[in-house]
Amino acid sequence: MTSQQTLIAETMVTLADNLVADFDVIDLLTVLADRCVSVLGVSAAGLMLAGPDGTLRVIASSSERMRLLELFELQAEEGPCLESYLSGDAVAQVDLESAMDRWPRFAPEAIASGFRAVHAIPLRLRGEVIGALNLFQDDTRGIDDEGLRAARAFADVATIAILQYRAISRSHELVDQLNTALNRRIVIEQAKGVVAEREHVDMEGAFEALRQHARDHNLRLSDVAAAVVAGSLRPTVASPRLRRPTS
Amino acid sequence: MSAERRRRLLGRLLGADGPLLGIERLCHVCVDTTGSDGASIMLFHDGASRGSLCATDGLGALLEEVQFTLGEGPGIDACRDDRPVAEPDLAAPAAPRWIAFTPSAVAAGARAVFGFPIRVGGVVLGALQVSRDRRGPLTDDQHADALVLADMAAEIMLLLQAGASPGELAVELEQGANLHAVVHQASGMASVQMGVSVDHALVRLRAHAFRTSIPLVDIARRVVERTLRFSPDGEAAPDGEAAPDGGNGADP
Repeated sequence: MTSQQTLIAETMVTLADNLVADFDVIDLLTVLADRCVSVLGVSAAGLMLAGPDGTLRVIASSSERMRLLELFELQAEEGPCLESYLSGDAVAQVDLESAMDRWPRFAPEAIASGFRAVHAIPLRLRGEVIGALNLFQDDTRGIDDEGLRAARAFADVATIAILQYRAISRSHELVDQLNTALNRRIVIEQAKGVVAEREHVDMEGAFEALRQHARDHNLRLSDVAAAVVAGSLRPTVASPRLRRPTS
Repeated sequence: MSAERRRRLLGRLLGADGPLLGIERLCHVCVDTTGSDGASIMLFHDGASRGSLCATDGLGALLEEVQFTLGEGPGIDACRDDRPVAEPDLAAPAAPRWIAFTPSAVAAGARAVFGFPIRVGGVVLGALQVSRDRRGPLTDDQHADALVLADMAAEIMLLLQAGASPGELAVELEQGANLHAVVHQASGMASVQMGVSVDHALVRLRAHAFRTSIPLVDIARRVVERTLRFSPDGEAAPDGEAAPDGGNGADP
């Protein structure tokens, strides 16, 4: 193995290691950006991810100079990362000097920041594009094929990790919703019992009293129920017809 | 192989009713494919059973209720330990377990019980419980079917819950569910009678059910019907003369 192959293999292990415990998207993408610089020999690397509304955000950059340029790219609404994200294809090794027409605002800014060439790779799994990886160079030597394949592989690993993480987060959110709904139901039943016993009404009368209190005070039924169960609220039974005759 | 198993079981879940995906059907498919006499899906949260999403008539519903009353059994162990639980010879187990559950389950007619955790990521949502009126283990094939069905139960639960209004349980999940509302109502009433918290009141109701060998839901129904009440010292006393009819009422 060449030393670059060794570095690529090591990077894959590092990325995979980041997928297990305490997975954090920003950590993963920061590792990825730094590794692009050390393994691929580019001057700077940065990653953008699309938010829920489809708007790209800068998530990780290997340097401050890079971060500022990526923010500028988003503000100018033109540049390699945006193009790659929107098309779903790589933007292959563009010499910035010859890109003045393509990116009239971005190209001069990138050159002023000291860069000479750019390359962008979409973060894509099948049809879904979730962001893009930007690689910048201070010279126009270009990235060799092996380097490009490695960059593509890094981007794929990151994409799969992020999509999996999102799926799991969504599942956990639904589990929480389910358990919250169950708890809500239990507390409401408990509160009905408390009111039924205190006010000598049946369950329907108790439920009506809870609902009436929630309506009158613009509160959620489950919050009213929780307060009744905690003993901090005693809703009045408004309608006498709901009263159960005491024996 | 596993994909083929999933396809076959999914085909049975969808069945002749068309593409209506329901959790209730899962218990029946489970009974069929595992050659069992009862199955139920227990909900589990905060270390305790929260009732069931579905249960087959007879043994399925009986054992679900026994576990809910006593707070122990194969489904609860499967959830707490996050692994499948098997007792193929409940009447003469190799090692004693479930001091309260076992005699009640045997009295209800169960001879073998099995529990499979229903999990999402690292979180346990509940358990698929399977029971038989004869002793003997599940075959490898039946065991594998039950594991896949437990997985499918998790997927279906999330799929249905994803369509629910915020804060509500999905209507489709609610249909065959038994959340033992009457027990929580009774906890509320008994908490006022005894001057304790509702959680504490539930413990007292459970203790009373255990002591008298009456199912918790029947005790609860008597409290709600005001034929049984608890004094501040925790003693239960009949409230009025009417004999409770504990067997057939449905939870409101």
